[in-house]
Amino acid sequence: MNTTVALPKPPTIRSTFRRPRLIRAEVLKLRKRRGLVATVTAMTVGTAVVLYGVLISLHAANPAHHGPAGGVSNLSHGVFLLGALGTVVAIILGASAGADDLNTGVFRELVVTGRSRWSLFWARIPGGLVFLLPFVAVAYTLAAVASVGFADSLAAPSTRLLVESGIFLLAEVAFGFVLALGLASLLGSRAQTIGILLAFRLALTPLILSIKFLGTSRESIPGAAFDRISPQAILDSGRPQVGMSLVAAIVVLALWTGIALAIGGWRTATRDA
Amino acid sequence: MNETPFVVETSGLTKRFGDREVVKDVELHVPRGSAFGYLGPNGAGKTTLIRMLLGLTSANAGSMRLLGLPVPERRAEALRRVGAIVEEPSFHGHLTGRENLHIVAAAREAEVHARIPTVLEAVGLSGRADERVKTYSMGMRQRLGVARVLLADPELLILDEPANGLDPAGILEFRGLVRRLVDEGRTVMLSSHLLDEVEKTCDAVAIVDRGQIVAQGTIAELRDGGGSHILIEAEPIEHARALLAASRAVSEVSDDGSMLRARLSDPGAVPELNRRLVEAGIAVRRLEPVQASLEQRFLEITSRFEKAA
Repeated sequence: MNTTVALPKPPTIRSTFRRPRLIRAEVLKLRKRRGLVATVTAMTVGTAVVLYGVLISLHAANPAHHGPAGGVSNLSHGVFLLGALGTVVAIILGASAGADDLNTGVFRELVVTGRSRWSLFWARIPGGLVFLLPFVAVAYTLAAVASVGFADSLAAPSTRLLVESGIFLLAEVAFGFVLALGLASLLGSRAQTIGILLAFRLALTPLILSIKFLGTSRESIPGAAFDRISPQAILDSGRPQVGMSLVAAIVVLALWTGIALAIGGWRTATRDA
Repeated sequence: MNETPFVVETSGLTKRFGDREVVKDVELHVPRGSAFGYLGPNGAGKTTLIRMLLGLTSANAGSMRLLGLPVPERRAEALRRVGAIVEEPSFHGHLTGRENLHIVAAAREAEVHARIPTVLEAVGLSGRADERVKTYSMGMRQRLGVARVLLADPELLILDEPANGLDPAGILEFRGLVRRLVDEGRTVMLSSHLLDEVEKTCDAVAIVDRGQIVAQGTIAELRDGGGSHILIEAEPIEHARALLAASRAVSEVSDDGSMLRARLSDPGAVPELNRRLVEAGIAVRRLEPVQASLEQRFLEITSRFEKAA
C-alpha cells in the first residue's frame, strides 16, 4: 500500500457549511437500497396506477354498473389509500433512516469524525423526506389528474380541494416518517419500530377512536388530529370521528412531532456508539 | 493545533460499568511521531480506553487530551485530524466502497471528498471501489477501513486490533503501512493483544492489564527493564541450580527440566559464574546470554501484577 496522499488543506469558511452534504449522504443511503426503493415505488406510484387503472377499466367495461373513475369521491378513496400505504412506507423508511447506521456500526464511524451527533440526527429528517415525498407527490399527481380527467358526469374536485388534499397527504406521510425516525433512533431497532408503529397506526388508532367513552382524551391520538385537519370533502363520513378544534389538532401533531424528534435526538446524542 | 510532544495524554482516566472498573486511573502518554502499542490481554480495557478517547463512550473520572486539545470539551476540533478504526471497520454493505467513503467524507470538511480517489489508490482498492462492500473479503474491508482513516489526512491514527482477520501477507503489509505512516510524520497508536506484532511494529508501548497501565516506555526500555538473562544447560542440573541460586550475581533462577534460566543482577558476572560451575565439578554444556523478548517481559509484568492484586 502506498500511503502518500494529497497535502492537507486548511479548513475554509465554506467547509463548515456541511449540512447539505450530510443530507445528500442520507439520500444516498436510502436510494441505493433496491428493495426499499421497489417497496416505496409499489406502495405509492404503483398503488395510484393500479387503483385508477382498475377504476378506469371497470367504467370502460360496464359504464352502467361502474361509475366514472374520477370525481371527488374517487379522489377521496385515492387519498385514503395513498395516506394509509404512504404512512406504512414512511414508517419503514423512517425506521431504516433511524436505525441502519446503528445496526451496521457505521454510526460509530461517523461519530469518530468529530461531527456533532445532533447534526447527524437532524440530517436524517430532510434526507428521508427528500427521498420519500417525491414518490408520494407523483402518486398524488396521478390521482389528481385521474380525478379531474375521468370525472365525466361526476363533480370534478376544485383546484383548492386538490391543493389541500395534496398538502394533507404529504403532511400525513411526513408525520409517519418523523415518528418512525424518532422511535428508531430511540430503540436502535428497525424491526421493533416498524412493528410498534404499524400496530399503533393500523390497529390501535381505529380502535381507540371508536371507543366513545374515552371522550376528549382521544384528541391526543394523531389519527384524530389528521381527521380534523383533512379536507372535509374527502372524509368518508363527511366529519371527523372526534370533535376537536383545528388549533388543538395542530398542537397535538406538533407535540407528537416534537417529542419524537426530541427523544430520538437525545438518544442519538447520548448513546454509547 | 498545538505541537505538543504527546498526541494522547490521559490523567486518572477511569471507566466503570456498574461496579466493575474496566479502565482504572490510566496515565497514558503517546509520543508524537511514533508507532505506539497499547498492549494487553483480551478484556484488559484497551477498546474501552480508545472509545473514551474518541467520544464513543464517556469517562467516569479523569482527563484526556488529543493532539493537545482537551476532550470532550474540544472533541470536534481534535477529531478533525484523527482517523480511527474501532474494533472492526463497519460499512453499509449495500453501498460501494467509494460510496461508503462519501458517506463519511460528508461528515468531514468539504475538501475531503476530493481525497477519495487518492486514498483508494493508496490502499490498492481503486479497481474494486465501485463494487458493493458486501462482496468484499475481510482483507478488502480492512483496506477500505484504512482508506477511510486516511481521508482525514490524520496526524494521529488510532487502530484497535488492526491485525485481526488479516492473513500473514496482510499482516506484513500492514506492518509496512504503519512504518510508512510514521515516516510521513504521523503518529499511529494501535491496540493489540499480539505481543509479537507490537514488538515488530511499534517504537514504544504501554502494557495494560485489568484496566491499569503496568508498564510504559520504549520497546528497548521495557525489554531491558527485565535485566540480563542467561540460559544454562549443565549436569547435574539440581547442583547447578543450587549453586546459581546461592550467587549474589543471580537474582532469580527458573528451571524447565532440562535447562536453567537465570536473571542476573550483575550482567558482568557471566565468566565468574561459568568458572564457579566448572570448579564445582558441573559439566557445563551450554551457557548463553539471552535477549529478553517483549513477550517475556509482558508475562513477567502481568504475572507480577496478578500476584500483587
